[in-house]
Amino acid sequence: MTYQEFKEAVTGYAGENGLTEYELYYEGGWSNSVEIYREEVKGYSTEESMGVCFRCIVEGKAGYASTENLTETEARSLVLRALENAGSIESEEECFLHKKGDSYAVCQKNDSPQPSGAELVEAALALQKELYQADPRVTDGTQAYMIYASHKYALCNSNGLDLEDEFSMANSYGMALVEEDGERYDGSENKRGRNLRELDLKEIAKAAVEEAVSSIGAGSVPSGKYTVVFSNRAMATLLATYASVFSAELAQKGMSLLNGKEGEKIAADCITITDDPRYRDSMVKRTFDGEGVAAYAKNVVEKGVLSTLLHNLKTAAKAGVKSTGNASKASYSSVVGVSPFTFYIQPAGDTEETAENKKLPKVPEALFRKAGEGIYVTELMGLHAGANAVTGDFSLSAKGFLITEGGKGAPVKNFTVSGNFFELLKNVEVLGNDLEFLQGKFGSPSILVRDIAVAGQDA
Amino acid sequence: MLSKQLLKEALLRALSTGADYAEVFAEHTLSRNINLISGKTDKIGDAVICGVGIRIFKGTRCVSGSASSLADEAILSCASKVADALTGSALIQDIVLKERLFGDIHPVKIVPGSVGNAVKIDFLRRACLAAKEYSGEIAQVSGSYLEADHSILIATSEGLFAQDRQIRSRVAVSAVASKDGENQTGSASPGARKGFELFEELDSEEIGRKAAAQAVTMLHADYIKGGTMPVAIENGFGGVIFHEACGHSLEASCVALGQSQFAGKLGTQIANPKVTAIDDGTIPNAWGSVNIDDEGTPARRNVLIENGILKTYMIDKLNGRRMGMESTGNSRRQSYQYEPTSRMTNTYIAAGEDRDEDIIGSIEYGLYARSMGGGSVNPVTGQFNFAVNEGYIIRNGKICEPVRGASLIGKGSEILMNIDMVGKNVKRAQGMCGASSGSIPTDVGQPLIRVSSIVVGGR
Repeated sequence: MTYQEFKEAVTGYAGENGLTEYELYYEGGWSNSVEIYREEVKGYSTEESMGVCFRCIVEGKAGYASTENLTETEARSLVLRALENAGSIESEEECFLHKKGDSYAVCQKNDSPQPSGAELVEAALALQKELYQADPRVTDGTQAYMIYASHKYALCNSNGLDLEDEFSMANSYGMALVEEDGERYDGSENKRGRNLRELDLKEIAKAAVEEAVSSIGAGSVPSGKYTVVFSNRAMATLLATYASVFSAELAQKGMSLLNGKEGEKIAADCITITDDPRYRDSMVKRTFDGEGVAAYAKNVVEKGVLSTLLHNLKTAAKAGVKSTGNASKASYSSVVGVSPFTFYIQPAGDTEETAENKKLPKVPEALFRKAGEGIYVTELMGLHAGANAVTGDFSLSAKGFLITEGGKGAPVKNFTVSGNFFELLKNVEVLGNDLEFLQGKFGSPSILVRDIAVAGQDA
Repeated sequence: MLSKQLLKEALLRALSTGADYAEVFAEHTLSRNINLISGKTDKIGDAVICGVGIRIFKGTRCVSGSASSLADEAILSCASKVADALTGSALIQDIVLKERLFGDIHPVKIVPGSVGNAVKIDFLRRACLAAKEYSGEIAQVSGSYLEADHSILIATSEGLFAQDRQIRSRVAVSAVASKDGENQTGSASPGARKGFELFEELDSEEIGRKAAAQAVTMLHADYIKGGTMPVAIENGFGGVIFHEACGHSLEASCVALGQSQFAGKLGTQIANPKVTAIDDGTIPNAWGSVNIDDEGTPARRNVLIENGILKTYMIDKLNGRRMGMESTGNSRRQSYQYEPTSRMTNTYIAAGEDRDEDIIGSIEYGLYARSMGGGSVNPVTGQFNFAVNEGYIIRNGKICEPVRGASLIGKGSEILMNIDMVGKNVKRAQGMCGASSGSIPTDVGQPLIRVSSIVVGGR
């Protein structure tokens, strides 16, 4: 049956079972993707996906059930499963459904024409060609990917809310493999656009190949304390890994060290961290969160002070504040949690007005000059294991370059950087102005921090 | 799940434009997770996942499609879309589907869906309570119960028609120990390819105490000083070192494209002669076991490395075509939405002949890594990393004080040569492994081993 028919069937069964508070959350989408190997299409894929989650509130407790199988039998089962699950919840924190009354931004649909399968293949082949042409050392194993995807979210509930968001975008990915003296090196670059024309294939190829080539001959570093410049991307991966510390849900459960720290200084003066679901350059602009609360921009950290944690309706009620519109669902089937949308550290210049800062071009080179000697970390690896959001500790595999005499030096690899995220936030000495996003979601400029513990190859 | 007639029609439709192989993968999965925090059930996720993934091959080119539905028209439409990506006329005109029964080497006694929430919650609560009561320093305990009842069906143009039902259960307890504004964590998370009988075999309190003990130990530990040193890695989850340093690089997905550090190395010595490593999907009821892989090939026990010599890769059908090699029964996918590729099942370093006391006794100054976290690897460069959740300093052949914040990094091909002592007592542990075909259950394992020299991340 169609989603509309399924929705009516579910509403009917909810009524039959005496439910008065319930919500139906829908997520659906499609995507076409192409993968190139050598000069040929290695893979072509076309996907359609869809799923529905039913949530009911019984005596303040939320019960969930989700399905991808839109049939009459399943509509009934969905309601009964959710009802049973609500009955098994013991937590005393009250859950709510959102009411009407928010003013919502208008969903901006992508009005660029969708690329055909042939156009997608053509763009992917062109990217592959650019990758091979960027440097003579580029070798087989180099791959280009091109994806066009469309996604839709819909939420309706028994309070009369009926919301929809959708977005579509092209996504490109170049993975360059270069070989020298029998050793292989890789580099990659990812760019998104509203359509294929917005993607500068030459630039993408250049960046991917440059990353691979620049790591040729990388050595290690001796263990010790170093001044470290984290590249915008490296810092953004760290922010992504620790984003959950700003969740009021984890804070209330004693799983975040920021619990109760609102209004306190938790970072250096130069740090302002913003969550903006409608960030101007973002391909994905959301108008409502996972509970149907209007999405809006807010500073979580302002000039070093924690201004708010991120809330959904339940955590906000417990804290006696308003929801920040950060109810999240990792997928349609997930239970409601809390997470940011487009989360980034504001670059220098956006928040600082001092004359000195205006004079200084804060691209990484300026930070190298400030560092004098140290390490420029361009990539951090293994964040799902080597970084702990509950303790703030991290000990991560890294690669990058030496900073010598105030400039970028030789490439280095096989070393770790260790520290604590909360201490790092406090110790940021200078910010760059080179804000960059990872997959459009987490962003940061380059940063300079002193006295970072590095472990490497000791004689 | 689906009739042979429909499957045949879908396969022929997919083959209609000249593919030489077609495959339909259909799935119906029930999954449930229960989260408990502060001793109370907080959230219950309850999902039905169902859909179809269709692939066709023409030589080494693959076209795939998926849809979130098992309705006849959705499957046929998916087959048509896949066929549309090729232009040609049908090479295969008829298919006779023959059902094959592979037997069930992983019998399940109690189907999880037949047990109510209350019994599951009871087990989880006992585990969490034991963690809380372990010490006054345990500030928070969260636990989760997970079950998946995953039915798959595979039909191919070669006439294969096979089904499997894969039931898995797991419980995870995470404890936070806290003192003077500082947190440390500990966890335990056993699982198996079993039904609810797993929880009749497991000691709930032991799981809780294990998580709590680790958190408390780490709370009283100092940070390790990083550097290069010998490390003794304990059995069980310690096997993650082989999984990252070598396992991923032996997957055909990167070997076939020349992206692996071990491509072209069959028959050569890639590890210390002390190392024999096995991937075995047939271990009865093990977490990573299957009866058939996701292309319908029966699971096998594959000796990957014998006395340091590379014997085989882990191969799926598509990459096998490129390599001119048969599938080894290693093709896996998280769900119908992911294209399957070569992955690990239960991978471990086989027992050696060294005594544990000799391994520890041989180290003058180094690290004893008792409990490991996850890790990751770049198969191109072989650069891997993983976290040490619980470590101790070894001084003059004796295990001394606990240390926190350690991670191990290195290059796979070098570290495999450095595994120069291998103990006798193999133990396996459970993990979720993420890669292009999604997140799948895998076991890692090994006896206690010594790595003569490796970079240890610390402060």
